[in-house]
Amino acid sequence: MDFKSYDIHPDFYDEMFLNEENPREHYRQLYETLLEFSAEQMVGIQEQVTRSFYNEGISFTVYGDEEGTERIIPIDCVPRVVSSEDWAFLEKGLEQRLKALNRFLDDVYNDGHIIEDGVIPVDVVMECPQYRTEMRGFSPLHGTWVAICGTDLVRTNDGFRVLEDNLRVPSGVSYMVANRKAIKATMRRLYRSSRVEEVEHYGRILQQTLRELAPAGRSEPTMALLTPGVFNSAFYEHMFLAREIGAELVEGQDLIVNDGFVYMRTSKGLRRVDVIYRRVDDDFIDPLVFRPDSLLGVPGLLHAYQQGNVSLANSPGTGVADDKSVYAYVPDMIRYYLSEEPILSNVETYLCRRPTDLEYTLDNLQNLVVKRVGESGGYGMLIGPHSTAQERDEYADQVRANPADFISQPVLDLSRSPCLIDGTFEPRHVDLRPFILHGQETRIVPGAFCRVALKRGSLVVNSSQGGGGKDLWVLRG
Amino acid sequence: MLARSAQGLYWMGRYLERTEHLCRLLRSQTAALVDRPIEEIHSGWNRIYNSMNRMPPVGGLELIDSDEFTLADSYTLTDDLTFERSNPDSVWSCLSYGRENARQMRHYISGEMWTHLNLSYLRMQEIDILSIWRSSPENFFSQTAAEMDTLVGIATATMYRDEGWHFMQLGRFIEGAQLANSLLLGQLRHEPNTRAVPEADWMALLRDYNAVETYNRRYGIEVHPDHVLDLIATDEYLPRSLCRSLDRAARELNALGPGPNEKSSAAAQRLSGRVRALIHYDWPDNDDHKRMLRQASDYCRQLHLLISETYFNYPVEALAAS
Repeated sequence: MDFKSYDIHPDFYDEMFLNEENPREHYRQLYETLLEFSAEQMVGIQEQVTRSFYNEGISFTVYGDEEGTERIIPIDCVPRVVSSEDWAFLEKGLEQRLKALNRFLDDVYNDGHIIEDGVIPVDVVMECPQYRTEMRGFSPLHGTWVAICGTDLVRTNDGFRVLEDNLRVPSGVSYMVANRKAIKATMRRLYRSSRVEEVEHYGRILQQTLRELAPAGRSEPTMALLTPGVFNSAFYEHMFLAREIGAELVEGQDLIVNDGFVYMRTSKGLRRVDVIYRRVDDDFIDPLVFRPDSLLGVPGLLHAYQQGNVSLANSPGTGVADDKSVYAYVPDMIRYYLSEEPILSNVETYLCRRPTDLEYTLDNLQNLVVKRVGESGGYGMLIGPHSTAQERDEYADQVRANPADFISQPVLDLSRSPCLIDGTFEPRHVDLRPFILHGQETRIVPGAFCRVALKRGSLVVNSSQGGGGKDLWVLRG
Repeated sequence: MLARSAQGLYWMGRYLERTEHLCRLLRSQTAALVDRPIEEIHSGWNRIYNSMNRMPPVGGLELIDSDEFTLADSYTLTDDLTFERSNPDSVWSCLSYGRENARQMRHYISGEMWTHLNLSYLRMQEIDILSIWRSSPENFFSQTAAEMDTLVGIATATMYRDEGWHFMQLGRFIEGAQLANSLLLGQLRHEPNTRAVPEADWMALLRDYNAVETYNRRYGIEVHPDHVLDLIATDEYLPRSLCRSLDRAARELNALGPGPNEKSSAAAQRLSGRVRALIHYDWPDNDDHKRMLRQASDYCRQLHLLISETYFNYPVEALAAS
């Protein structure tokens, strides 16, 4: 196949091409191999990869979709390649960022120095719906509020930027592993000669991380993964991870709290649980403390956690640190807590709660992406350049009514990566979500869930909005 | 293991056994459409519906002496038992429930098992009654039954022999026993004695249990209803015979050991012994086999409830206090 009709646009960083003629050095091997493949071969690989997902039942659920609950996440078979130098840079930046975020959480639930010192306004923190007053005065083992973090990064012509930190229940890591397995099985020789860093040991690293968080005196901890259940969109991932880390896959109904200890109902009676990797949101985790109507949670779980009898990853309350308004202050947190300059840049962010930012946002709606503070997964946002005047007007009314609920950012020129579309290579926008683990120390598997906006021109990579995935290769140094 | 997972594996075993069983019945029934007399086909459908305790669609079966009518009727009945989503006992439903339990318990079964089962399920999504009717329905049922058998083989070769395995097996054998009970009872239901059931039905029963050769070796070629009944109820070596299913279920129960609910646990052990004694020791000396099958069926139902109370839905309050 060739790249003759492949469109390289100066506005977008192209992951593969330096210019019209030449691939980037770390892409050379992949590029040359793709030239040798025939279109039939590539389409064959694509079909095989898709078929393997289908057969293995690697599926997700789209909310509000009535026909069947299982869907296959589309995977594009052309890998994205990241050089070892770029990865080393990202790794450092991600580690720094998570360190500061954990410090921030410990601070805002305890002494609140960062607020006192005027680095971040008190209302930004305290009015955030994800700030859990129930967690005040608590400090988890090793100060690890966030044990599993999935950070969304994008690349523009100006380099990498952090789009958002996912500090509550980040998902997608199972696709990092599944995509790798599928691509390895179909591009065997290319993979072997490309010297790619492994990602399939993620489960072991996660297990190690969770073990480090076990309550004192529980050296052989019993672990459980708490899932909302089979109807959750990420159920496949919950099952996959439970298997990988040797944990029981439990639902709220399987756990009971007695005298401040957590037990699960086994076929042999009750058994104490030491570490819970919970994939249920804060709101639903404990009906005694948070939403009383939750059927997914465990009454008394938070109390058991605060007594130190069970560990939760991630801790309740972490959402305050990935709030879209708080995000704007992460570079300041890094300077404040670590006395270092941030390695990774943020996206310029306008907080509509500030009158000048509000004015700027309303005046420039057609050029901005406006997001609701409380939403995630690409829901409830306005992409200025892709919106109609009427949509903008309606959205502006909502922003004016509750400015504090909105932030805006310039439309990012997300980098593009070649994808196999209808038998030819076409560029599509991509991002990446690496996973950063922190127990006693920080560990990052060299890889990421790479998301692709498969619709031509689309900037939305969320799998709930028609995005797909790609394998991401970090090359060995 | 987690009580809910144990229950999931138990039900997976039950549903997949049911899938296989129904495919075997439908295999011989659809094969009969090729060359058997209309009365025989009619009584075959009766037998199947009776054993499932289900009313045929459009209100009951009618014996009309017309090939065309019988074939059209058979088409509807096959569809009802195979692809009908609203029929909880159709092949489609049983396979889907079995697969759904497997999907939720994927971390307990081997990857090989899951892939095999998922492929069967996906194949089933792509076909309908028309497509199997056009080619060969009996081939479809043979293939599906074989896929379920292969699954058991894959499980045997790959699955770790922990509790999960025993719960799955327990489900299979309890289901196997119940299905044998129901099928034999369905056979006898409307008849005052075994002799009144047409010989062809007894032959079909032997075929459904892969027992024709065994029967011939043991009893000769003449089909004697009481012998057929004896073979399928009490033969210890015939896979899926009532006796063997009960014996194997008892073995699995032993392997699992006492559950958290000691009272129901002991009761389950006793009941398992009682039902086996009924078939092993009472059967040969007693002529009222219909009554005994009913009794065995009752025992099996109770046994299922006791298993559930013992391992899955036991009360936790007392345990938590201790």
